[in-house]
Amino acid sequence: MTSHPANGLNDVVHQRVRLGILTIAHEARRVEFSYLRTNLELSAGNLSQHLGVLENAGLITLEKGYAGKRARTWITITKAGQTALADEIAQLKLLISRIDSVGGTPPD
Amino acid sequence: MATETAPPGDDPRQLLTSTRELAQRVRRAQRATWFPLLVFAAVTFASIPVYRYGGIHHFGKCVVTGSGPRGCAAYPNGEFVYWPAALVLAYAVIAAFYIRRSRARGIETRVRPYAIAGIIIAVALIGATLWALNHPSGGGPAGLHSLGMRLATPTCAIGLALLVLAWAERNRALLLLTVAYSAVVLVPISFGWVLDPLSRWYFVPRLVIDGSVLLLGGICFALAQRPWRPGA
Repeated sequence: MTSHPANGLNDVVHQRVRLGILTIAHEARRVEFSYLRTNLELSAGNLSQHLGVLENAGLITLEKGYAGKRARTWITITKAGQTALADEIAQLKLLISRIDSVGGTPPD
Repeated sequence: MATETAPPGDDPRQLLTSTRELAQRVRRAQRATWFPLLVFAAVTFASIPVYRYGGIHHFGKCVVTGSGPRGCAAYPNGEFVYWPAALVLAYAVIAAFYIRRSRARGIETRVRPYAIAGIIIAVALIGATLWALNHPSGGGPAGLHSLGMRLATPTCAIGLALLVLAWAERNRALLLLTVAYSAVVLVPISFGWVLDPLSRWYFVPRLVIDGSVLLLGGICFALAQRPWRPGA
């Protein structure tokens, strides 16, 4: 008996906003704080909290700098973050296929 | 039935769908396919005066075929200077454009694979050109030489650059355009427009056709991606 796919989900990644942050960061070399805030429709405080969780888990790195006189924060996904994202996607697919196979099988 | 339901929190199907949509949205936001196409079209059209007024240079080995005349390769001088310089400059302009644009939008594009591929293509182009020039058609299999000469063309290097861009942008539409462009360049397709080989403008149809494919592609992508839109 194999373990349920839900057991393989990473609590840090298995969350809508954090999954969104990792997804966006995965598609780019690095992404700016304001881009994430706009695209994920979050307040600055809320986004900062989620970024803190991901940074503490070693899944992203934060880099502060300036563009002209404007302070900017850039987010880069780490190798561990890429692995965690790939694992999460795989687990979600597995979970969906399990749900489909159970829900789609008519009783004999 | 509680054993096979999703864990508390977000629904896995919704999470996966929204993740895919988000990834697609970010990829679309990073695309600026129209720009490299227009740059390469401009580089192609700008080569016409270089071919016409660049002078003729006999280069490579001359081959005596039996009792027939000596066969020597003749190429415009300017072509050898123009294309490497123009392609490197085009690459630099495209890379700078992507970096500047992506920084302004808050999402940085990975330009390094494209730049590395550009260097490899430039080196390969120079190597293939030197090989083709030192292996005149009388010195080896004609088909191989002909293919080598066509692969050594700068327009073919543009095709390779577009192929790398299609991969980097994960852009199927650009891949289709690249296949069409490569077919036009490599077959080559002239649409029946051929000038006398002795004419001083014999190269014009080839360059106009190749450049027009890029120009039309660039215009189509610009209309689709609408770069003039705020935030586009």
